[in-house]
Amino acid sequence: MPTTMVAQSLASGILVGALYGLAAVGLSLVFGVTKILNVSHGELLMLGGYTSFWLFTLFGVDPFAGIPLSMFALVIIGLIVYQLLFSRLIKLPTEDKIRTSLLVGFGLGLMLQNIALRLWTADNRGITPSYAGAVLTVLGVRLPYVRVASLVIAFVFLLALQLFLQKTYTGKAIRATAQDWEAATLMGINVHRVYLLSFVLGTALAGAAGTLVAVGYSVEPVMGLHWTLKALIVLVMGGIGSIAGTLIGGLILGVTESAAAVWISGNYRHVVGLAIFILVLLIRPQGLFGAKEG
Amino acid sequence: MTIKKGISLALLVIGVVALGLVPRMGASESLLNLLILMFIYTMLATSWNILGGYTGQVNLGHAAFFGLGTLTARMLYTGGCPLPLAFLVAGVVPVVFSMLIGVPAFRLRLRGDYFTIGTLALSQILYITIGNVLPKITYLPMADIQNYQILPRYYIILALTVFTIGVAYALVKSRLGLGLVAVRENEDAAESLGVNAFAHKLLALAVSAFLGGLTGGAYAYYQPSYYFNYTFSPPWSLEPVTMTFIGGVGTVHGPVIGAIFFVLLKEWLVLRVGEYHLIIFGVLFILVVLFLPGGLVEAWERIRRLVARRTTVKATAPTACAGGNNLPGN
Amino acid sequence: MLELEGVNAGYKDLQVLWGVSLRVGEGELVALVGPNGAGKTTTLRIISGLLKPTAGSVRFLGRQLDKEPAHRIVEMGIVQVPEGGRVFTGMSVQENLELGAFTARARKEKEQTMKWVYQLFPRLEERRHQRAGTLSGGERQMLAIGRALMAKPRLLLLDEPSFGLAPILVEQIFEMIAEINRQGVAVLLVEQNVRAALELAQRAYVIENGRIVGEGSGDALLSFESVRSAYLG
Ligand SMILES: Nc1ncnc2c1ncn2[C@@H]1O[C@H](COP(=O)(O)OP(=O)(O)OP(=O)(O)O)[C@@H](O)[C@H]1O
Ligand SMILES: [Mg+2]
Repeated sequence: MPTTMVAQSLASGILVGALYGLAAVGLSLVFGVTKILNVSHGELLMLGGYTSFWLFTLFGVDPFAGIPLSMFALVIIGLIVYQLLFSRLIKLPTEDKIRTSLLVGFGLGLMLQNIALRLWTADNRGITPSYAGAVLTVLGVRLPYVRVASLVIAFVFLLALQLFLQKTYTGKAIRATAQDWEAATLMGINVHRVYLLSFVLGTALAGAAGTLVAVGYSVEPVMGLHWTLKALIVLVMGGIGSIAGTLIGGLILGVTESAAAVWISGNYRHVVGLAIFILVLLIRPQGLFGAKEG
Repeated sequence: MTIKKGISLALLVIGVVALGLVPRMGASESLLNLLILMFIYTMLATSWNILGGYTGQVNLGHAAFFGLGTLTARMLYTGGCPLPLAFLVAGVVPVVFSMLIGVPAFRLRLRGDYFTIGTLALSQILYITIGNVLPKITYLPMADIQNYQILPRYYIILALTVFTIGVAYALVKSRLGLGLVAVRENEDAAESLGVNAFAHKLLALAVSAFLGGLTGGAYAYYQPSYYFNYTFSPPWSLEPVTMTFIGGVGTVHGPVIGAIFFVLLKEWLVLRVGEYHLIIFGVLFILVVLFLPGGLVEAWERIRRLVARRTTVKATAPTACAGGNNLPGN
Repeated sequence: MLELEGVNAGYKDLQVLWGVSLRVGEGELVALVGPNGAGKTTTLRIISGLLKPTAGSVRFLGRQLDKEPAHRIVEMGIVQVPEGGRVFTGMSVQENLELGAFTARARKEKEQTMKWVYQLFPRLEERRHQRAGTLSGGERQMLAIGRALMAKPRLLLLDEPSFGLAPILVEQIFEMIAEINRQGVAVLLVEQNVRAALELAQRAYVIENGRIVGEGSGDALLSFESVRSAYLG
């Protein structure tokens, strides 16, 4: 196998892997803090992608400049979804909460997917600004500018989130609530506000990820389940509550998939990730990098 | 209680006999097709409910069992294998497959959500892989298609449906069924009473997979042509969950009611709003999960109790028996 | 400053507290003692608002507490050190203390309070960057108390602060509690270590099966026959 081909597949894997990481981190944050496992996360990501698609085609808004707008749209959607649906589960015991939230998310995903089908048809949509086709070639490896930019932006988001959680008072309150909500309440923390904030932060991150996916790749109504699964795979690999673990998990998944595409067949790209997922789930349920829960 | 049981049994027999007589009363082919659809969905929901309802282990990848059932039965049947054997193997193959996730997940006592997302992933693996390996349409044998007989299919699938409900009923009424519910309500407490939670969950999974596969067998026998991977697609995972919850999770009659309701509502909605019906189903499902976790069965029970209370108040009867409490654990 | 009157409370169908009434005055140190499962922790949960009473009233500085959410009660100045301390094990000692000063009222004086806490517990200052999960049992308990002090409590609720500690540490913790009380903080102390608690407290209540069955000055209860036979052996 020629080395450029190996390098190319490695590079493509890393580029898409960063997006997997970004997609997963929102899901992970929400689950870690609220114990709501929102399997409609992929559909929310899709809505983020379509928001930028709309902004671009209707108003000519540059997709990268439009990231704050699609995040804002997802904040609104997140607020509605949380207040209307998930907030009703928040007081359930953890096991029941996870189970019921899975079901609610499942139904919500179905709903959003079909709404998207009505609004935007089943077609694959991409965002194509003037620089869309530009490619940076390094030693024969082709790196599309938009994907490189997406990688950088994903890194920035993850770093910013890390700093926010580690350094700010609000971030610490979020971590405290994730560890022990009752003890957090006894610190005077309004945990219901923290839940809402975390959920909305998670959906905003899905909005950002969706935009990057729409620019570098494409969006379609049925992509939700696909991205939810990617996020879950990364979550299981990286463990809950570790942003670095999530990023590494995303990169590993991306690279493994491209390797599988090269060595086995492009058709099995997505199967490999799922297979790893099942294995990790069964062998090391606390995640490859995560500490044991509790 | 025994009188009530007798009445329900009589109603059941009358219902089945009536369904058996429907084709003789000059029913149109489209009515028979609609009924077959109800049978298949009843089987699908009932098979899901055995694991998801009785043990509380939410399976979001039931399409894997259904799909494996269709694949196996279709392969065997078109290969000339006798129908009963094809059905049997269609049930067994998913059972073997289900152990892949069931044994490790239940033995390690992983939290329920690990099992749930595991099933979701496994069904996706199959969906993609079958799409890659067999990217084509499967047809019934030429002889069957040229001379497609709906009547034998109607009766056979009716029989399979009765069998499926029978298995579910027998399971619930047995000691095993009690064990399943005990495990769902409180696994530790159940174990301390000597219930082997691992064995119980595994058994429920096996029965659920077997009946799910059998449902697939029925579908493969009924449907003249479809893409091989179609029966592995996400809707086949989604719909049994939706139907069971709408009907009443964790009860024998819930999935039956849910399936009938689902098919009728779908027919009605498709005519009126077309593809928008899927959005409506999503909303309906969420509403049921959040506000009526016992589904139509619970709604009926509530109404009945309300009426009963009214009448007992009027008659000033000394006792107000609320009837069997079959609220499912949420 | 704190008054419970005829409080009933429980979990789901199980009623645990039956008409509990008790009072803690300004600057007072009051003990609440009783056997396992008597309802001591439940009483503290009621005061902190983690659990709402089904009947009766809870008043603090003249204000009704039973409708207030738990985090507002902290803001008013009632701070609890829960059973077992429940420190945030994944965070550093310093971060734990910072979280203690989460309320707006406490945050303003965070730096000074932290100095005071470090003075009270020099051990914590030495370990300020260590993860709380790696602390010893005694250190965790100190951290839990220090964290509560960061909230600038007017009334401090302590749930078995001596639990699981070596006798010498128990003595230290009790001295700390006395010291904190001398500085003007009212204390409601739940203890299994009845003798020490009664010696420390100005007044005490005895709770059994969810009912207050005895009340008096610490010394009086110490000499009270049934208390002696039941708890002091
Ligand atoms: N979350 C809960 N759910 C149900 N019952 C509870 C719960 N917490 C406590 N109980 C019950 O309430 C009763 C009183 O418990 P509580 O924790 O208040 O006792 P305690 O006096 O603090 O005991 P200990 O000295 O052992 O800490 C006990 O019978 C206990 O089993
Ligand atoms: Mg206690």
